[in-house]
Amino acid sequence: MTQPVTIIMIEDDEGHARLIERNIRRSGVNNEIVPFANGTDAMRHLFGADGSGLVQKGRALLILLDLNLPDMTGIDILRQIKENKHLRASPVVVLTTTDDSQEITRCYELGCNVYITKPVNYENFANAIRQLGLFFSVIQVPSAAT
Amino acid sequence: MLTVISAGSVYLVNKARSDNAWVVHTIEVENQVNALLLEIRRAESGARGYLLTREPEFLADHEAAAAAVLPALDQLSRLTADNPVHLDNVGKLKAAIGIRLDQFSREMDFVKQGKPERAVALVREDAAADTTATIRQIAQAMMGEEERLFTLRTANADRSQTLAASMTGIGSGLVVVLALISTGLVRRSARARDEAEARLRDANLNLEATVDSRTADLREANAEIQRFAYIVSHDLRSPLVNIMGFTSELEELGRDVFRRIGGLTHVPAGGPPVAANEADELPLEAPDKQLSRDFSEALGFIKSSIAKMDRLISAILNLTREGRREFEPVNIDTRELIAGIVETLAHQAAEAQAEIRIGELPDVVSDRLALEQIFSNLIDNAVKYLRVGVPGEIAVRGRTKLGYAIFEIRDNGRGIDPRDHQRIFDLFRRAGTQDKPGQGIGLAHVRALVRRLGGTMSVSSELNAGSTFTVTLPIKWNASNRNAEP
Repeated sequence: MTQPVTIIMIEDDEGHARLIERNIRRSGVNNEIVPFANGTDAMRHLFGADGSGLVQKGRALLILLDLNLPDMTGIDILRQIKENKHLRASPVVVLTTTDDSQEITRCYELGCNVYITKPVNYENFANAIRQLGLFFSVIQVPSAAT
Repeated sequence: MLTVISAGSVYLVNKARSDNAWVVHTIEVENQVNALLLEIRRAESGARGYLLTREPEFLADHEAAAAAVLPALDQLSRLTADNPVHLDNVGKLKAAIGIRLDQFSREMDFVKQGKPERAVALVREDAAADTTATIRQIAQAMMGEEERLFTLRTANADRSQTLAASMTGIGSGLVVVLALISTGLVRRSARARDEAEARLRDANLNLEATVDSRTADLREANAEIQRFAYIVSHDLRSPLVNIMGFTSELEELGRDVFRRIGGLTHVPAGGPPVAANEADELPLEAPDKQLSRDFSEALGFIKSSIAKMDRLISAILNLTREGRREFEPVNIDTRELIAGIVETLAHQAAEAQAEIRIGELPDVVSDRLALEQIFSNLIDNAVKYLRVGVPGEIAVRGRTKLGYAIFEIRDNGRGIDPRDHQRIFDLFRRAGTQDKPGQGIGLAHVRALVRRLGGTMSVSSELNAGSTFTVTLPIKWNASNRNAEP
């Protein structure tokens, strides 16, 4: 059963969000993008009012996650997503300005699927996002339902 | 003081003893004089008895007495040899006794020859001459003299004894007083010492506490600066991504805009608008072309500035990251480490016609990566900043001193103006001709590492006369002198 993948973008910087969206669209991905500017709203959306994550059961999600959020760290969100049985199958792409190897390692340990550094060099950034778009079009997002 | 007193009392006791001896001596002299007179009397009475009775016992008695007179006189003269008055008197006495003895012997001779009348006459004559009286007088004078000396000497002896006694008394008193004083002083100084010790202990404890709290403060402040630098540089990056991103978007937009302008203004007569696919060669009219160039130039400056800012931020990030890295002390074969660095720089060295010599190097226990960064930065600098046209000579040497390893990296390069010696260690600061690429980070980084390793570094250099960088590191670095990181 195929279902269009919804992209959840958790990014507090509006400019970054706009640039990411623009480049995703440029790479030809037309999936719905649901943006969140802070962690709390995103968590409510992902886990539902009861915090169980049941609301997302059976839906195909791809999560774009910034690590620097005003109200909580992206690492926490990543951990909770990967600990939730309804959400943990959803791919998580971490997008951040840090290229600290310790942080990258930590994210992969917590189960992040892709880690992208936002380089100041825009060409690189745009390329990374477009490749991500290609990646979206080829991955089979597991239909988390069972 | 006590010595003086004891010496004085010893002297006085001795004096008292000698004074007493003198008193005894006086008495002896008196005795001797009396004994002498007694002997003369005995001789006289013996002689008289013999004259009257002709009994030989009297003669023997007289002769024994007469014989005892001379030794007694000798004895007296020996005893009184020290006194000039006596010497004179003894002389007179000797003469008188001599005459008397002579008279005696003549009397005796007459008696023996059976001429008693002549002997009697002689006795009479003798009595008239009164030699015996003379003797007695002299003896009396001597006795008087001795009496005088006796009084004198007794007084002397008494005085000496009194003095000695009082001296001893004073001495004992002084000893007691001094003992009391010194006991008091000792007690007082002991108390003072105890108090000082207590104060010192307190001060030490306080000092340690102060040092601890200051160190904690410093570490706190240092950690804060590190965090601050990290956060600032990290957070500065976020807007930079936007600036760069939208600048690029703007560039794209600008190209589109000018392409459209070109399309609108440059409509070939009757033809379709020019296909706008040749991005760089837009068919613009001269003023529009100028506008397009200005636009691109402005964006170019913005982008190059952003790129520079990004490099600086990255540098700060790397520095703070270095500051947060935990060091791991391992045994390091310094020579091997430096040889490895020199090998990686062999290409640059060959290009610069530089020869790198490695001298004696002490091994250390330290963090390998930090040491590699320190030496590769310094040797790289030495290769980089040689004088144009002068073959480079770079020497790496080391020695140990008091638990520290001192390394020297010496070159014959362009040198550093002494005014810049402090500046070159500051972040983003460089010195001399700016003809080599660089951010002004290397030495700041090196110095931060050396400090974290518990060492110091310095430079000595003159312009155009080469530079020597000296790095002093503890031979054995361990976690205890590590900066505590939160």
